[in-house]
Amino acid sequence: MKILVIEDDATTGTYIARGLREEGHIVDLVTDGREGLVAATGGGHDVLIVDRMLPQVDGLTLVKTLRGAGSSAPVLFLTAMGSVEDRIGGLNAGADDYLVKPFAFGELSARVAALGRRPQAVEQETSLQTGDLMLDLLTRKVTREGQEIDLLPREFALLEFLLRRKGRVQTRTMLLEGVWDLSFDPMTNVVETHVSRLRAKVDKPFETELIKTVRGSGYRIDG
Amino acid sequence: MRRLWRSMPLRLALVLVVLFGTVSLLSLATSYAVTRAAFEQAIRDDLAQDLAGFRAAPTSGAVALLVQAESEGTDPSRLVLSYVTRSGRIYGNGAVARDDEGFHIISLEERRATLDGEYLALSARLHGGRLTIARSRAEIEALRPVFFNILWISLLPTVLIALSGGLILARRSERHVEVVRNALEKLSGGDLAARVQTTPRWSDDLLGIGRSVNSMADAQERSVMALRQVSSDIAHDLKTPVQRVSLRLEVLAQVVDDGEAADLVAQTREEVEGISAVFHALLQLAQVENGALKAQFAPVDLAKLCGTMVEVYEPTAGARNQQLLFEGPDSLKVSGEKNLLGQMIANLLENALRHTGEGAEICVALFHEQGRPVLSVTDNGPGIPASERDRVTQRLYRLDQSRHTPGNGLGLSLVEGVARLHGAELSFGDAQPGLRVMLRFPVAS
Repeated sequence: MKILVIEDDATTGTYIARGLREEGHIVDLVTDGREGLVAATGGGHDVLIVDRMLPQVDGLTLVKTLRGAGSSAPVLFLTAMGSVEDRIGGLNAGADDYLVKPFAFGELSARVAALGRRPQAVEQETSLQTGDLMLDLLTRKVTREGQEIDLLPREFALLEFLLRRKGRVQTRTMLLEGVWDLSFDPMTNVVETHVSRLRAKVDKPFETELIKTVRGSGYRIDG
Repeated sequence: MRRLWRSMPLRLALVLVVLFGTVSLLSLATSYAVTRAAFEQAIRDDLAQDLAGFRAAPTSGAVALLVQAESEGTDPSRLVLSYVTRSGRIYGNGAVARDDEGFHIISLEERRATLDGEYLALSARLHGGRLTIARSRAEIEALRPVFFNILWISLLPTVLIALSGGLILARRSERHVEVVRNALEKLSGGDLAARVQTTPRWSDDLLGIGRSVNSMADAQERSVMALRQVSSDIAHDLKTPVQRVSLRLEVLAQVVDDGEAADLVAQTREEVEGISAVFHALLQLAQVENGALKAQFAPVDLAKLCGTMVEVYEPTAGARNQQLLFEGPDSLKVSGEKNLLGQMIANLLENALRHTGEGAEICVALFHEQGRPVLSVTDNGPGIPASERDRVTQRLYRLDQSRHTPGNGLGLSLVEGVARLHGAELSFGDAQPGLRVMLRFPVAS
């Protein structure tokens, strides 16, 4: 993907750019709002990563201007504040996602990957599959190696969420938002316990592990 | 309209009308009584004088003659003269008869049989006969309608004018008070730019209140803005270096080999995460406490949210052999901010899970009490001693026994802040054994 990073803190910007390049993306890095606006209007980027507080033109104005000019490239906001008002303001301005500093690179990378995939055609799938695991969306039945696995509704939803995003890391906060529609920070490892319950049913009785833990980021089911 | 009746100017007008009415009524009643007494006295004097005139007659015959002469052409409805001689002959224009019911005056004229009305009579024995003189009290009786007329003519316009004046004033001041009230409601609802729009036609006292409200709103807006500025400055200036540290640590974690160095990096990353969690909690607390968030309120299904939260924490509880239950209706809506309410329930659940031992039971309940939605989280753990209950919501306060458990002492402060933002009362009770945290939400408007 071609990604534009607009971040005034040189260290943070450099680390983000380096990390994304290592993942195989093409990254443009600019450090102020005006430059960012110029780069964004003519760049043809797949995803924009924009800091809220920027010199010259602030992030909010930048995104509003871009949206006003008809650009629909997905935008990920980076912010130091992380308040509810801040979040709503950012999303209202036209941002697609929101990340509060300090964040881990894994979280940023997972969210960028999700944003890059966003405008996918809605396929009317009736089943999801990976390896020997089958998930029937109509009968809500899960089978592996032909054996039926009994899942609770929320375990089914969690598995479905991961399967629909095969090959991409899903972080804990992304799972909380996607499966439970919650955006807050739990102190305890709530997501981990849900995943380990799911694993006990889906992975443990079988030889290969489908749900992988990505250290420092989240979980992934490989395609 | 009911509110108008309860408004101050109208009440004042009503009180004045009642006061004025009472005073005029009293003074009219007094002058009526005095006039009446004076009239009666005058009639009594006339009667005495009449009698004295007849006493001057030397004989019974002379009295009879005089009475006869006097009563010729005298209207008995005004004056009745009656002289009954010893032999029983009656002279005059009326006969006064006495029976069990009292006195009757019987007309001697053929046209009228009896005479109605009230009379004042004076009777005396004279030369063996009885002379009765009765004067009609009609004049006195005629006073009553006159006084009633005076009463109506003077009182009715006063009452009408005072009442309508009061109504007009009440309407006007109601409109002005309404303007102040609207501004205050907007302010407390989080619209910091709301001001009372006064006009020079306002009365001085309301104008003064309006100005005071505006200067209060100015001060509030300034302090909220200052707080926001400070929060965002702190957030930006402190979080940026923390961000750099955490990104560097991430890179470091990838390059060091497993061993002591890797452990140190992992520990340091945890510490950094802890720092940013405290930061985040403090910023969130500051933001929740300034109240401006009310502008973002929308209906939130508390029952659904509780159900989801219990579901999210259920495996965590299960892993420690703890039971987590939800009891409540399928749907219960309150006005609020969903993420903050979720965070609040999460903090309460995490507290309960953390401070109770293995096998504990934690119950989240949602119900109505006197029309108010109530959320309660009850556990059967050690609870909070009564003496400490007021202090647990203080920032960074921790019970001695929980110093060694994880947590930063901001959880309940945030719970209290979110509760206050939503107009909910937070209370800590004894579940015997255990702790019962209650949140009483306001009645839905």
